[in-house]
Amino acid sequence: MNRFELLNLLKETIQDELVICNIGLPSQELYKINDRPNYFYMLGSMGLASSIGLGLSLTVDKNVISIDGDGSVLMNMNTLATIGNRAPSNYTLLIVDNGSYGSTGDQKTFTNERTSLKEVAIGAGCKNVIECSGEETDGNLKKALADKDNSYVIISKIQSGNVPIKPIPLNAVTIRDRFRKSIGLVSYL
Amino acid sequence: MKISQKIITNLKEGGADFFLSVPCKLLANMITILENDKDIYYSAIPREEEGMGICAGAYLGNKLPCIMMQNTGIGNSVNSIVSLLQLYQMPVVFLISYRGTPGEPVGAQGGMASVTEDILNTLRIPMLHCNTEDDLDKITTFTNHAKVIESPVAILCNFNLMKDD
Repeated sequence: MNRFELLNLLKETIQDELVICNIGLPSQELYKINDRPNYFYMLGSMGLASSIGLGLSLTVDKNVISIDGDGSVLMNMNTLATIGNRAPSNYTLLIVDNGSYGSTGDQKTFTNERTSLKEVAIGAGCKNVIECSGEETDGNLKKALADKDNSYVIISKIQSGNVPIKPIPLNAVTIRDRFRKSIGLVSYL
Repeated sequence: MKISQKIITNLKEGGADFFLSVPCKLLANMITILENDKDIYYSAIPREEEGMGICAGAYLGNKLPCIMMQNTGIGNSVNSIVSLLQLYQMPVVFLISYRGTPGEPVGAQGGMASVTEDILNTLRIPMLHCNTEDDLDKITTFTNHAKVIESPVAILCNFNLMKDD
């Protein structure tokens, strides 16, 4: 299973949740599979999907899912400590771990060698850290979303590989405004 | 404590209601005040760049975030400021302890101090310099200004203003 197939599998589960999606192919694939105003697509700032979702989850009651990648988490590992100590129960970090920098040509990341993001997350203080296969991800995500008392970190181990895809045609402020409208903060659209 | 209290009061008066910090000795009193303030959210965080991400998320959830840090933190955060906060037009207040300004005992702080304003100018981030207690009165309007222009703004508190507080 590759990232596109995984995101397609999660389509129903995430459609009404607040999603912060990682820059590059993850956002482009999610946009192609099922574009929703409650999806915030990152167009820059690689590494910060986890942190943006954390900040949002601290300020709203709804479930928030950060869809991140192994390469991006490796770039911003300190935020796992912030998540481990501060994440509220409506926060889920889903790390799509395909062992590669997919958007830049599938160069291998360190999760392909000795690094375990599961062990890093546990060491950073994260609770409910689940490493699973792509096939098991939807069930674990459903469990995380249904649990109103705990935050989760789910590491979905999948294959690398991408599908041919175009950049997202939305500009940043459009993404911002329709996202904020979906949580009732914008009245002019 | 008087200066620190005035800064926090004026930030809150201007609308800031979500605070993060990467600690600095000059920010210590402000951090103590925030830790005991039940009206706002406050947390320390490990690195300024992730703080820009957390602030972006808090803005999406309708907060006016303020990140407190040394001026060195601007250096750690340039890409996240440009390709997240400015790209999506998100207001965030940077409350900066301006290390390396006159009075600073640590010579090595001079390097980042000498480029901090050039970086902020290059990024087109409005700056408010606080050198005296009277300057602190401008913080409320300046904080609200971030919201109006949907942009990060930077408040720079010089070493000598903070050192005896």
